Amino acid sequence: MTETNMAVRSRGVVSETRHLLFSVMPGAVWIIVFLVLPSIYLMAVAFMTNGPYGQPQMPLSLESFRQLAGFGFLGWSPGNLYTLLRSLWQTLLSTVLVVIVAYPIAYYITTCREKWRPIMLLAVVVPSWTNQVIRTFGWMNLLAPGTPLSDAAQALGLIAPNMGLYPSNFAVTLGLVYNFLPFMVLPLYAAFEKLDTAQVQAAQDLYAAPVRAFWHAVFPQTLPGLLAGTVLVAIPAFGMYVIPELLGGGKGMMLGNLVANQFAGSANWPLGAAGAILMLIATFVGLYAMRRIGKRLGGGEEVVI
Amino acid sequence: MKKRTLQRGLTAFWWVTITFLYLPLLVVMLFSFNASNSAANFTGFSLRWYERLMGNEQIISAFWNSLVLAIVSSVVALAIGCLIGYGMYRHRHRKLGWLIVLIYLPIVLPDIVFGISEMAFFVSIHRHTGLLQPGLGTMIIAHVTFQIPFVALIVYSRLVGLDATLFEAAKDLYATPFKRAVHFLIPTLKPALISAFFLSFTLSVDDFVISFFTAGPESATLPIYIWGAIKKGVSPEINAIATLMIGAVAIAAVLSLMFNRQGRH
Repeated sequence: MTETNMAVRSRGVVSETRHLLFSVMPGAVWIIVFLVLPSIYLMAVAFMTNGPYGQPQMPLSLESFRQLAGFGFLGWSPGNLYTLLRSLWQTLLSTVLVVIVAYPIAYYITTCREKWRPIMLLAVVVPSWTNQVIRTFGWMNLLAPGTPLSDAAQALGLIAPNMGLYPSNFAVTLGLVYNFLPFMVLPLYAAFEKLDTAQVQAAQDLYAAPVRAFWHAVFPQTLPGLLAGTVLVAIPAFGMYVIPELLGGGKGMMLGNLVANQFAGSANWPLGAAGAILMLIATFVGLYAMRRIGKRLGGGEEVVI
Repeated sequence: MKKRTLQRGLTAFWWVTITFLYLPLLVVMLFSFNASNSAANFTGFSLRWYERLMGNEQIISAFWNSLVLAIVSSVVALAIGCLIGYGMYRHRHRKLGWLIVLIYLPIVLPDIVFGISEMAFFVSIHRHTGLLQPGLGTMIIAHVTFQIPFVALIVYSRLVGLDATLFEAAKDLYATPFKRAVHFLIPTLKPALISAFFLSFTLSVDDFVISFFTAGPESATLPIYIWGAIKKGVSPEINAIATLMIGAVAIAAVLSLMFNRQGRH
């Protein structure tokens, strides 16, 4: 290779690198400055001590994690542990319910005429374009004392007389299912649309019972959609703030509320930051687990994470 | 025979689910026209809650805040996100793992963690330097941060879908990168840019948690105002603002449907 050729090539590499820097840098720097640094700061706050005005102070300590585990001035109390377990339970329950509703809906859309499908998908998605606060407020209207739903629940003896269906854990579950249903329908629909019906036909020809045919021929093919949907539902559900705050009341509090409260009313930033770290760990463990499951079951590459 | 029963069952289930999805919104709309302030009984039609809205300065200022926030943040995110999307495409053969992680971070981070870390960070910076006072400015920064990834991914996926030889042809046709951008890149990306802008706008209007934690005392948006009103006690006035916002979404839905249809023909 001649010298000039080398020079041209290296100049080419330099300008390519410069191009990369100019195109990518503004955004990368933006995200680093306005999200990565704040997150690192928040993690640091978790290891500081709570000052008299709720501001983080030196010295470094693990006090906030002790508090998160329930140790306070008056000894140990299970409050925070309950909140954590409730968050896990609500996430699990609402994800399972969302899957149960979304499966038939996603399948049903694929059985309809092609020209209707985009409209049906839009019909499922449109409610989620409305602000979350308004949607949750709609459920407050529906579940309040004196509404037909609350009256029916009273008549069945499910709730005490003159009470509403909210605030309650039931209302939170309902709100979560309502909120996240579209996030499961969309990826499942995408999976159903690509479904290879020959496999299902083969299973039926071999006299497989419907359940067996579903399990061996349909379910594995929709798995990538199911995993993507689970990521889209379970991770934000675990950190949900608005729904438990409005529909849950004191006994329906989730981790998101515990964290948020430390930055508002009761002002204990280190404790809130410790809760946020817990949420981050849950997020990344969840993402990692889904990827592993996806890979093991062979559909991993299609999972959009 | 059996198949038909299944299909009927599914149709019924579909309509039950659709009712479930729209019922809360319909109730809000219905009670916004309620003559009395009861949340349980509809006593008659009236527009009194809407009249009250028009006289409420807080709501009007919240409306303008929402609009300014959504437009400004979407424009900034469009510019920055578009550059990243293009950079990701041009250099897709390099190892850009760090960039992918960076771009997915705002998407996977739980809203509440996103909001409070920015809030804690902004407050600390403000205390030490006087910069970044909580208000519309900090909200715009926060919104741009969660909009950038979506713009970048939309632009990137559009570019990947194009024939690579087109870029070679454009290189031969137009001498300067600027001309190439104006005559080739921007026209080809136009549909992607429009949908990225609308998605950013929707994300901004849809957001509550991140706005709530990065807002200042003067910069309440409509969702923040509604939140405050709900916390003070349910008032039928909330139904009226909420109905107007639902109406805006419905119009957006119809427009997107029409736009989608046009795109296919």
